[in-house]
Amino acid sequence: MIKVTNLSKKYGKKIQALNDISFHIQPGEFVSIVGQSGSGKSTLIKIIIAELKADQGELLVGGWDISDIKEREVPTLRRQLGVIFQDYKLLAKKTVFENVAFAMEACGFAKKDIKKTVRQMLALVGLKDKEDRYPNQLSGGEQQRVAIARALVHKPKLLVADEPTGNLDSINTREIIDLLKKINNLGTTIVLVTHNKDVVNSLKGRVITLDNGVLISDQAQGRYLL
Amino acid sequence: MISFFRVIKFAFQGFFRNFWLSLVTITMMLMALFSTTLLIGIDYIKEATLEGVNKKVDILVSLKPGASREEVELLATDLDSQAEVKKVTIITPEENKVLYEQSNLDEKAKKVLDIFDEDENPFSFSLAVQGNELSQYTTILDKISQEKYQDLVDSSDFNDFDSFVGKIENFSKVLNKYSWYIIGAFLLISIVVIFNTIRISIYSRKNEIMIMKLVGAGNWFVKMPFILEGVLYAFTAVVLLIAIIYPIINFIQPSLTMYFQDVNVINISEYFQSNFFLIFGTQFAVLALLNILSTSIAIRKYLKV
Repeated sequence: MIKVTNLSKKYGKKIQALNDISFHIQPGEFVSIVGQSGSGKSTLIKIIIAELKADQGELLVGGWDISDIKEREVPTLRRQLGVIFQDYKLLAKKTVFENVAFAMEACGFAKKDIKKTVRQMLALVGLKDKEDRYPNQLSGGEQQRVAIARALVHKPKLLVADEPTGNLDSINTREIIDLLKKINNLGTTIVLVTHNKDVVNSLKGRVITLDNGVLISDQAQGRYLL
Repeated sequence: MISFFRVIKFAFQGFFRNFWLSLVTITMMLMALFSTTLLIGIDYIKEATLEGVNKKVDILVSLKPGASREEVELLATDLDSQAEVKKVTIITPEENKVLYEQSNLDEKAKKVLDIFDEDENPFSFSLAVQGNELSQYTTILDKISQEKYQDLVDSSDFNDFDSFVGKIENFSKVLNKYSWYIIGAFLLISIVVIFNTIRISIYSRKNEIMIMKLVGAGNWFVKMPFILEGVLYAFTAVVLLIAIIYPIINFIQPSLTMYFQDVNVINISEYFQSNFFLIFGTQFAVLALLNILSTSIAIRKYLKV
């Protein structure tokens, strides 16, 4: 699903965010990428979603080499991925339904399909009865669930979660992780970027550890090392 | 086609759901439009005033007592044939007497006529000579002063009139010269204000733009609602301008009519009515175009996500 080969990225001349990292994520895996602040986790995610370009190396997402992706191809890539962020990134002036629908509307789906799929996704994340609310009328956990529904709405094969529990309390964190596990069980590959030790250890799955831009560990059934 | 309708829907959503931002943006635009419309109005008043003065000014040539009707008609025809002269009106002694009696002179001055018998008329013929343009009055005055007319002409206040005409003419030149600078400065200020208003409006919604891009929307799909919102701002600002301008025009029109004692000299409501589409249509088109350009420029950097 994701094949990273000798990937490097520098900010300016001195800051080496990623240094020659390589790994391979198979379809259907649930992989945690961990590391402390400044370890290069977010840079890696930004490169995967084409928000940044790597200086060197190769990155294949679903068999597509996006190392040198053109600007006009970026929306097509993002429509094949699902991405959730620490700060949810919801559109404040749109309702829950509209936020989720937007991702489909941007792809040109028919109104009827949008209505059906959005309702399904909101049911999956447990927000069926809150579709008319605005983001500021929801709790943090609920907002993150809206973001997950939006990320899943075009049925991506890969879901990238960048610190999805960073702004949540332990109960909501548990709920979001359970939801991600449920989505993974349905066949979606999950890449979870986090520095939450408890979450990583509870998952008992594959853990890739970054430190100062270097991949220091890749364990099939790993634990939080740092 | 689906995307096109969605873009329109998002434009209206953005316009109404960001109500206060829309209100502030429209207010700034309205102020710029109001200044421009004010200048258009002032320019019209200036032009109409000069034209009105031009129409009102004529040279009153008093003729010597005893001049016969035939001589007066010959003189009038001769003057009328001059290129600079627009119209010559003969005022008979009887008409002159009536005009004197109806004039604004005080009763004491009017009583002077009492020394004459009722069938006696001290007034002679006179001519009202109207020129084509203000600048031609001095030439007309020179022609009237020619030797060949001196047996008939009995006027002596030509010089005062000459300086009055000169002053009006200079005033007109100064106004014409500086009004373009003022209009230019106002337009420049308006353009800068509108451009920056749009920039601030886009800046305050930069997160929205970035999120749309991150969830897979293409540049066109993100940009178009903002561009259409700019057109909506322009439309609303022009509608509000019309709603404000007409009551102001109706308020000042009676004062202008009273000042010139003639509704035809400055009829600002008629001017705005007959040039409605030219004035407001052009303002809408220019503002909408300016908003489209400003939005396209301002949004560009936030699309690079």
